Amino acid sequence: MSLLEIEGLEAGYGAQAVLHGLNLTIGEGSFAALVGPNGHGKSTTLRAISGLLRARAGSIRFAGARIDRLRPDQIVAEGIIHVPQGDMLFPELTVIENLRLGAYLPKAAAEARTRLDEVFSLLPKLRERQDQVASTLSGGERRMVGIGRGLMAGGRLLMLDEPSLGLAPIVIDQIYEVVRHLAVSGRTILVVEENAMRIAELADRMHLMDNGRIAWDGLGSEFLSRPEIRAAYLGG
Amino acid sequence: MEIFIQVIASGLTLGAMYAVSTIGLALVYSALNMLNMSQGALLAFGGYVCFYAMETLGLPAPVAMLAAMVVGGGLGLAIYLLVARPMLGSPMFETQIFIATIGIGSVLQSVVLQLFGPQPKAQPLNVPGGVSLGGVVVPWQSLLILTIALAMLAGVAWLLGRTRAGLAIRATAQNRDAAQLMGIRIGQVYAQVLMLSGALAALSGIMVSSLSGLLPTMGADPMLKAFVICVVAGLGNVPGAAIAALLLGLLEAIIQYLFGVQYAFAILLGLVIGVLIWRPYGLFGKRQVVRL
Repeated sequence: MSLLEIEGLEAGYGAQAVLHGLNLTIGEGSFAALVGPNGHGKSTTLRAISGLLRARAGSIRFAGARIDRLRPDQIVAEGIIHVPQGDMLFPELTVIENLRLGAYLPKAAAEARTRLDEVFSLLPKLRERQDQVASTLSGGERRMVGIGRGLMAGGRLLMLDEPSLGLAPIVIDQIYEVVRHLAVSGRTILVVEENAMRIAELADRMHLMDNGRIAWDGLGSEFLSRPEIRAAYLGG
Repeated sequence: MEIFIQVIASGLTLGAMYAVSTIGLALVYSALNMLNMSQGALLAFGGYVCFYAMETLGLPAPVAMLAAMVVGGGLGLAIYLLVARPMLGSPMFETQIFIATIGIGSVLQSVVLQLFGPQPKAQPLNVPGGVSLGGVVVPWQSLLILTIALAMLAGVAWLLGRTRAGLAIRATAQNRDAAQLMGIRIGQVYAQVLMLSGALAALSGIMVSSLSGLLPTMGADPMLKAFVICVVAGLGNVPGAAIAALLLGLLEAIIQYLFGVQYAFAILLGLVIGVLIWRPYGLFGKRQVVRL
């Protein structure tokens, strides 16, 4: 069953259109990856889904209901959790305050205590750092807070925007360990990733973006076994 | 020793009064990037509402103060709904709202002028007498102002630091997009912040007018000082603004004592220029780090 259905989505910034009629369907419980070169609308797609950017045309359905006219806070309440690119932490708040804000809405707040334990067992570093102010953390730690904050919300769809962007290789391995764990946990996940080869090993389904549309989609294994796709969209 | 106590008492009173209006200004700037130039008129409006409630309606002082704060909060809400909200999406928001609030300020001031006339009036909220402290008589009025101001500051600190609404305000001020992704309805946060700031301006106006009387233009000087304090503290830094307000109040009292009232503001501004050359982001402001 599909949880998220996007049809003919158009969105952009000011006079610049970025998405030109995007169609995308994410099945419940699947791990989907949105890949493709920079500047083709991957992050814009996530921003349109979470309502930070208004759709200019087309529709976004979540669990059967239209969400493209809702405010971002209403979309969060529906259960779509967006871990944005570049962390976007609250720099002057501590790690624990950042995490608590992830469970800001009443429904999530009621389960905050058990969620926090889950987040700490998945990301033990955060337990050590919990009273530290976010702006003093390293890049990898900040990324973990961002992911942990998203997990605190619970939700039905978790969207991660470039979880490995700008990190050192060894830290990327740690982050991928967490992503791998989430992948097998059975929740519905949509990951935007530049590094298509790496995410293809984890993803059930790959969606290749080209100039504001989905140019190809298929199974992760298919993606890896078809060099012509890699060559065409990722330059080898 | 007597003089020392006198200077400290008057400095703290001034500073506490400044702090109440300054934190409102700082809160609004930190949450919306909005410099509210109608703050001075809101101050005067609050002072006059208290005057009207006590003189004309014969209400007791605490009720009159509360009424003034409610009216101030209502004006803040109206400014948000009618003026700030329609402009929010604009890339020129900061400039637009700056100019728009100058307009609101002059309209409010004209309303006060129409209703109450240009002659100075005495604020009926006045406690006579004083208490002897180390051989100096400190007026009850000053102590009352200090107490109310400190209680109000403590209340705002509690609100921001200990409540869910306060956490939402701080989160919104630090990262708007991220706050929305947490499920915070930022429009509501903006409305709350402007209401709070309007109520604080009204209270500050009552305090100022209880010392120096009511005039339609009475808000101009405290507003200018509130801006100076905000800039010294680092724009948008709320706790910093409260501390800077108390420091500047004390400094003003000391300068007044040493050199005379007429030099106080000039010397204060000179010091502020010095501070800003030394620390361009303000005493408590943080350098904006651009991250890729």
